[in-house]
Amino acid sequence: MIAEIGHILLIITFVSSIIQVIFWFSSIGGKNRITLHILQKFSFANFIFILISFSTLLYSFIISDFSLSIVTNNSHSLKPLMYKISGVWGNHEGSLMLWILILSFFTYMISRNKVNMHFNLLSSIIGVQTIILFSFLTFILFTSNPFDRMDILPIDGKGLNPLLQDPGLAFHPPILYLGYVGMSVAFSFAVGALITGEINKEWGRQLRPWITIAWSSLTLGIALGSWWAYYELGWGGWWFWDPVENASFMPWLIATALLHSVRLLETRFILVSWTVLLAILGFSFSLLGTFIVRSGLLTSVHAFASDPSRGIFILIILAIATGVPLILYAIRSSSIFKEKKVEFDILSKESALLINNLFLCTATATVLIGTLYPLFLDAFNGEKISIGPAYYNATFAPIMAPVILIMAIAPSLSWGKYKTKQLLKKLIFIIIITILGGLSLSMIKGSTLFSIICGSLSIWLFSGVLIDFASQIRSNKIKINNIKSMFIFLSKNSFGMHVAHIGVAIFLAGVTGEQFYKTEFNGRKNIGDIINIGDKSLRFENISLENGPNYQSEIATFTLLKDNKTIEILKPEKRFYPVQQNQTTEAAILSDFLGDTYLVLGDGNKEIGWSIRLYYNPLVSWIWGGACFMALGGLISILQNRKSQTKIMLGNKV
Amino acid sequence: MNPKYRRLIVVILILSTLGLATKLILMALKDNIIYFYSPNDLKLKYGKIENIKNVIRVGGLVLEESVIIKGNKTIFEITDRTHQIKVSFDGSLPDLFREGQGIVVEGEFIDNKLIANQVLAKHDENYMPPEVADALMRNGVWQGGKKN
Repeated sequence: MIAEIGHILLIITFVSSIIQVIFWFSSIGGKNRITLHILQKFSFANFIFILISFSTLLYSFIISDFSLSIVTNNSHSLKPLMYKISGVWGNHEGSLMLWILILSFFTYMISRNKVNMHFNLLSSIIGVQTIILFSFLTFILFTSNPFDRMDILPIDGKGLNPLLQDPGLAFHPPILYLGYVGMSVAFSFAVGALITGEINKEWGRQLRPWITIAWSSLTLGIALGSWWAYYELGWGGWWFWDPVENASFMPWLIATALLHSVRLLETRFILVSWTVLLAILGFSFSLLGTFIVRSGLLTSVHAFASDPSRGIFILIILAIATGVPLILYAIRSSSIFKEKKVEFDILSKESALLINNLFLCTATATVLIGTLYPLFLDAFNGEKISIGPAYYNATFAPIMAPVILIMAIAPSLSWGKYKTKQLLKKLIFIIIITILGGLSLSMIKGSTLFSIICGSLSIWLFSGVLIDFASQIRSNKIKINNIKSMFIFLSKNSFGMHVAHIGVAIFLAGVTGEQFYKTEFNGRKNIGDIINIGDKSLRFENISLENGPNYQSEIATFTLLKDNKTIEILKPEKRFYPVQQNQTTEAAILSDFLGDTYLVLGDGNKEIGWSIRLYYNPLVSWIWGGACFMALGGLISILQNRKSQTKIMLGNKV
Repeated sequence: MNPKYRRLIVVILILSTLGLATKLILMALKDNIIYFYSPNDLKLKYGKIENIKNVIRVGGLVLEESVIIKGNKTIFEITDRTHQIKVSFDGSLPDLFREGQGIVVEGEFIDNKLIANQVLAKHDENYMPPEVADALMRNGVWQGGKKN
């Protein structure tokens, strides 16, 4: 009965979303605020209805109501509560429910904005959001209804794919979806501006927090997914340039570009039509990502069972969501976007941000081509190919290198005018530090030209950001030991940006360590054998069989020794899940600040020994640490933005 | 600075970046593409195995009772039920590697044997790599598995 309530609420929201869209269409360009008031009420109702509907689904999972086919297929009565809950979005239907839940929540949050926006623009933004909601409700109700009942009540569920029973992956989809849906807000802002012609600096100021939320969530979501792949798949790698990974990475790149172009728009009101275009494309890429993941058209190491007919539906949404705004853009942009002539020097913040956008978008294009080219070739002449990391190392990496170079200097540049003295002084510092760092890197065993370049870029960025931060403190005459003045300084200045940029530097340091200084052992060993790696050695003690809550496992015990002293006991594991007839590898990882010892138990028996893989990955945890810093920087800048916003009054026309 | 001059610089910068990117992409696509074949496709395209020089991917089923483990080396055959190809792999096999399972192998031919540097089997046992499914269906071996 509970599930039927959820289903009925979805249908009601579906019908009411049609009414809202028609109502909004008929009142575009209206002269009073009534439309807005009604749409505001509706978006609150939508959110509440979807929230209740989602809760009924959640409830069905928690009580293991196997009369619902989604619960039977994705849950099991013996599963821990946390995975019963994450099972809700660990499947296609439930993940769409989460999508619309976040979408309706964001729409409601936008609709609460009363002061700073022209009412026509605001109702158009809500209108466009409702159209997106309507499309996804159609998708859910007609192709992927989560409330479908089973014909025959089964005794127990089929369980969730054991690889997905993991804390890292339990939170990966919700956080990633916050990012995808956040990009829909940027999209609605852009389409709203195209419809009403209301675009000004305030538009950018209102939009930026949303893009920052989307960007931070995408950063965290991707990092979480990569971390999961690192420790759960047991391949030792963290990024495989796989289509499914690229699917989330392309929206991230576009969001990064958008974050920077919106900064230009809100301070100088240039790059206006470009920003609108990016905002539209950002959402298209999010949909493209969903399409790639759900359609199963591309071979992916992360591919799960998928259904092409659902892919076609997403493709239709994608075509409409990209096509219609682009046509609107072609017709309207020249008459709406009248930029003032703004003068700026070649060496200014403006140029740096322009170059940032140019390179980020070019980089996105290389990823897009690498992802889709196999698909085109297959359709064109039936040849099947795959494009691996080598392609991306040859295209993406050289295009991103200049971005890093400029990132270190850009914060020191000023708007409009170029001030030689200040910049030169900082630049000399940065160059000296980088050269010293590069030289000491080249002393390390195993260094190559590329490892030194990659490491030096990281040092370059570190020093650039820190020097700019220090000079800001000096020029504002802040005493570091005065906590109050320091706090005020941090909340007013570009502290969020600095944190995010330091995150990139940390990330790059991690990449350098993992890519170029990794050591590896791969072979068959038996109980009693010793493996030497670096200055440590590993002794194979024994192997045992144990029973877990819903699996059986084979656990090996190893002792990690340094100078004949025990540092740690490592227990890599192979698990067998009888319900799914599935086997997983649990790597044993000893992680610390400087690097990870990563041990995987493969197949084997007492006669031939076990296949063992052992890696030492220097600085690998910095990769995810860096991503956390980036996301944190985003969150700090949202808080800063909120604070400064209260002081800015609106101007509707520029 | 003169706005016209500035605009010229911007245009030159954009064009040269895009030009450079295109050049990089074309070069990378020429060198780094890996073609996928089923054992039968390989036979049809190259005739003899000696003619295959580059790194390729081969997909099919692990032939039953063909898996031999020698030390760290695993030797097995991969089949599309029309032709077989001998594969030798030095390293840890994925969890889902077993006889009769659809897999993809990447490597180079040395002495009529595919020396694999990668063996891919997927997370989900109901899942069949699309290329393998396609190749098997063309040979009439596999009619499509269940989808969930």
